[in-house]
Amino acid sequence: MATLELIDIAKRFSKNVWGVKKMDLEVEEKEFIVLLGPSGCGKTTTMRMIAGLEEVTRGTILLEGKDITDIPTRDRGISMVFQNYAIWPHMSVYENIAFSLKLRRMPGNEIKARVQKTADMVKIGNLLKRLPGQLSGGQQQRVALARALAVEPKLFLMDEPLSNLDAKLRVIMRTELKAIHQQTQATSIFVTHDQSEAMSMADRIVIMKDGKIVQIGTPDEVYFKSANIFVAGFIGTPPSNFFTVKCSVENGGISLQHPNFTLTVDPHEFKELQEYRNKDIIIGARPEDILIVPKESAAFTEKVLVVEPQGSHQVVAFKLNERIVKMIVSPEIKVRPNDTIGLAFNVQRLHFFDSNTEKRIPLGREEL
Amino acid sequence: MNRMYKRQLRRSAKRASLYIVITGILIIIILPIFFLFSFSFMSDYETYSEWPKPLVPSLKAEFKLDKEVDGYHLFIFNRSENDFMPFGPLSFHDDAGELEKLQEFVKRQANCTLPVSKIREYMHKADSGTPVTFNLRKKLLANYVLFFQVVNGAPKAVLNSLMVALATIVISLSIGGMAGFAFARYFFKGKNLLKLSVLFVRMFPAVSIAIPMVIILGRMGLYDQPLGLSLVYSVGQISMSIWITASVFMSIPVSLEEAAMVFGTSRVGAFWHITLPLALPGLAACAMYSFIGSWNEVISAVVLTQFNPTFPVVVYKALVGSQGQINLITAGSVAQALPAIIFTLIIRKYIIQMWSGVKV
Amino acid sequence: MTSTKSFLSLDKESKKKMVPYLLIAPVIIYYFLFWMFPVINAIVESFKSVDGVWTFDNYLYIFKNPVFYQALFNTGFIVVFSVTIEFVLAFGLALLINTKFKGSSIFLFLAIIPMSLPAVAVGAMWSSGLATRGWLNSLLMTIGLIDDGGKFLFLAGGRMATMWLIIIIDAWTVIPFVMIILLAGLQGIGEDVREAGAVFGGTKFQILRKITMPMLKPTITTAMILRIISAIQIWLIIVLLFGFNRLPVLLEQVVLNYDQLGAAYFERIGLALSVLVALIVSAASVFYLKVSGSFEKEAVQNE
Ligand SMILES: Nc1ncnc2c1ncn2[C@@H]1O[C@H](COP(=O)(O)OP(=O)(O)O)[C@@H](O)[C@H]1O
Ligand SMILES: [Mg+2]
Repeated sequence: MATLELIDIAKRFSKNVWGVKKMDLEVEEKEFIVLLGPSGCGKTTTMRMIAGLEEVTRGTILLEGKDITDIPTRDRGISMVFQNYAIWPHMSVYENIAFSLKLRRMPGNEIKARVQKTADMVKIGNLLKRLPGQLSGGQQQRVALARALAVEPKLFLMDEPLSNLDAKLRVIMRTELKAIHQQTQATSIFVTHDQSEAMSMADRIVIMKDGKIVQIGTPDEVYFKSANIFVAGFIGTPPSNFFTVKCSVENGGISLQHPNFTLTVDPHEFKELQEYRNKDIIIGARPEDILIVPKESAAFTEKVLVVEPQGSHQVVAFKLNERIVKMIVSPEIKVRPNDTIGLAFNVQRLHFFDSNTEKRIPLGREEL
Repeated sequence: MNRMYKRQLRRSAKRASLYIVITGILIIIILPIFFLFSFSFMSDYETYSEWPKPLVPSLKAEFKLDKEVDGYHLFIFNRSENDFMPFGPLSFHDDAGELEKLQEFVKRQANCTLPVSKIREYMHKADSGTPVTFNLRKKLLANYVLFFQVVNGAPKAVLNSLMVALATIVISLSIGGMAGFAFARYFFKGKNLLKLSVLFVRMFPAVSIAIPMVIILGRMGLYDQPLGLSLVYSVGQISMSIWITASVFMSIPVSLEEAAMVFGTSRVGAFWHITLPLALPGLAACAMYSFIGSWNEVISAVVLTQFNPTFPVVVYKALVGSQGQINLITAGSVAQALPAIIFTLIIRKYIIQMWSGVKV
Repeated sequence: MTSTKSFLSLDKESKKKMVPYLLIAPVIIYYFLFWMFPVINAIVESFKSVDGVWTFDNYLYIFKNPVFYQALFNTGFIVVFSVTIEFVLAFGLALLINTKFKGSSIFLFLAIIPMSLPAVAVGAMWSSGLATRGWLNSLLMTIGLIDDGGKFLFLAGGRMATMWLIIIIDAWTVIPFVMIILLAGLQGIGEDVREAGAVFGGTKFQILRKITMPMLKPTITTAMILRIISAIQIWLIIVLLFGFNRLPVLLEQVVLNYDQLGAAYFERIGLALSVLVALIVSAASVFYLKVSGSFEKEAVQNE
């Protein structure tokens, strides 16, 4: 039995404003789920409906098999880390963490032990007497975390908890959060708009757009089998490059024609593409799947626009048919702006999308 | 489906009860104000001869003229009795003096114009034996006009009040605005003390300050002068101005000034070209707040004026001294209240902002 | 040369430090001239007889006068109940408006009208309303709640009835003002801290008691102090409705002595009385600050 089940839930704020249009999701016990999507896609609204801070317009929410759709927030047995922490400034760190335990009339010494334990877990055990105003942003974040963990909830919700931290701390907290999750095994839903955060933390990622789920999958699945152009473009930095090509079948080979290049692929391996004979399809190429090759074996040649060294790799950008294309190359390869380079694709790793529906064209070979 | 229906029902019930409560509150708030306005439009007849008093002023008066053996009789329609009631002299005849008196009576009591020629016209019609009825348009603003005519020095008092208000605005906005800016932009010793001045200043009753001020202003030659009064009002207004302007300046990021200074303006120039224009609406609100405070003040003005009273003093004396009918006094009150109400509604956003800016 | 230069730069530095003091100097001077000076003057004069001889007589006269104790009691009664009632209702209103229901801005718009009304207009409004043949009785009759024989004699009640009437009228006038202050404070508290209260198991009432009100404390203190100060100084509405001496309160006695009795002797009594009022106001404010624990908080912050 899943811990959390969202069955066809939706939220309408006013006549034409939908927070969430349709959402179906099952979260397994101990799972770490990340809701990922651009700002305004309905992640917060989903979270708030699960928490009961927002009434659903339609649908059912089950928590451990129990229908909680119309149960008040405080009785749902969930806890939450808010984006702006929402820790209470007039209470000490200790009082913040102990708040819900006191309301539950837990015995005093148990409260003390529990607060100390959770505070130690997030490394603020020595700050319990302080007021939130005397803490740094990162420490306040930890207080919010400890407060949520102390409840030992059935479900642990986090709405962009790291977005107010500086870049370096954010990466550190990512790792710590994951470690805490492995230790507590609390079923968690984590909201973010940062795809690298999602990739690094999630057991499964739920990608949302315009109030709907676009794809649910493990980080590898959403990266290597992006369900549509949106996902392929959203996941990964730099994002995928897209090329619209015309598909034609000639002398038994499939040829994909772009104004600047023509790709010929094996008709058996890519037999699904045959159905697109004489139609447009869209190729999605991740930056690492475009390769620099000697000019004589290149699919096309192009002049380098800019080179962005990153240390571990470098990003090379060029212009193709008026659009910027970015690729990742190893730091050993020496390229400079205005060099003319030969380029080719790692055909095995390319994504193909229907140009009308923008959906992935599933290839049978991928199932192998 | 059933659940959605239930949810909707619950929501509707919740909303309905909310709006019932709100309507109740609004009635309590609005009703007295409504009646203040309503009374100010009523004629003496409506105010004193209709019982229970009509809740809304009528826009016209209905008359009936009848001829009997002893002469002509005039009746007026009484809304609470739902019938014509005798109005004016027991009977009257076609006599120039009598008719002029009647014309005056109709004007005073019913706020209607009934020229003698018209009375004669109706008398002729009534001669046939059947009574004539006719409607006259009521002059709605008659009480307001009358208030300024009969109450001693009311027009001049308005002028005095305006002068006092203007001087108060100038004094409190300039002095308070400077302090408010210091408040918003600098840290200095005694800041907290100054912040509390609003409270300290109010702890000593205004009237008790006014009493020694009689002598002090007298020595300065400002007793019974608008300027003298505004000097006293400004004590309270300055402290409010500090709070308002401080919150206004706080809401303008320092970085905007700094940006201007980066591009080569001086600190004063930055203030002049960047901060001041942005602060202007807030400062205008502050001016209006001072206006309201000064325009509404009564008691210091009672103490500190003699021959040059302000408008509130005139209304106050009319009310306390029962110098006139209640409908007349309500007209004076409305005339006094209207500018204050309008200004308050204009600056409501800033009033809220002021209180969020500074706290004890 | 060097010394001159360093002297100049030091001068510039200290000049900069002077700026805020220059900006607040006019306020200080103004307060000194037109507040401090008359206040001291009033205090000094209250200890002098008409002939300019130092004396306690003015105060003794007050303390021997039973009306003073009546006024003291009446004022205290009105202050305690009106401030309490006003706070509770204004807080309720502020919470209501802060839920931002549909139409709440229009509601706010209408709800603040009473605070803008001049005292005299309020007096005219209620004296025209509470008269036996006023609009309130008319209204009650028109909607059929009472008949002609059942008219309420609002203005002819006993002392307690009169005081409650004043408390209600004062509440009607002042609630919007208190509400605005509390609303401003509420708007400064994020929605999320209250939502966190719900997530972590608080009922609506627990959230109000344990989160909203403590966070609102500085605002509440401000509102309460301001109200206590002006509630102690209530008098005009009483005089407008009942005339002098019907319901003696402290400040009414000041005005009565100073403005109505019309002798130099009584003017001094008025002054002495106003000094007492100021003392009472300050004592009440300090008392409230102490009871509400505002001093402790400052002490913690100063540590
Ligand atoms: N209280 C609200 N009233 C009206 N519209 C809202 C409200 N909250 C969110 N929305 C709308 O719902 C959509 C989803 O918002 P949200 O869930 O906050 O997005 P996200 O968290 O993914 O950025 C947005 O278009 C937003 O404008
Ligand atoms: Mg969000």
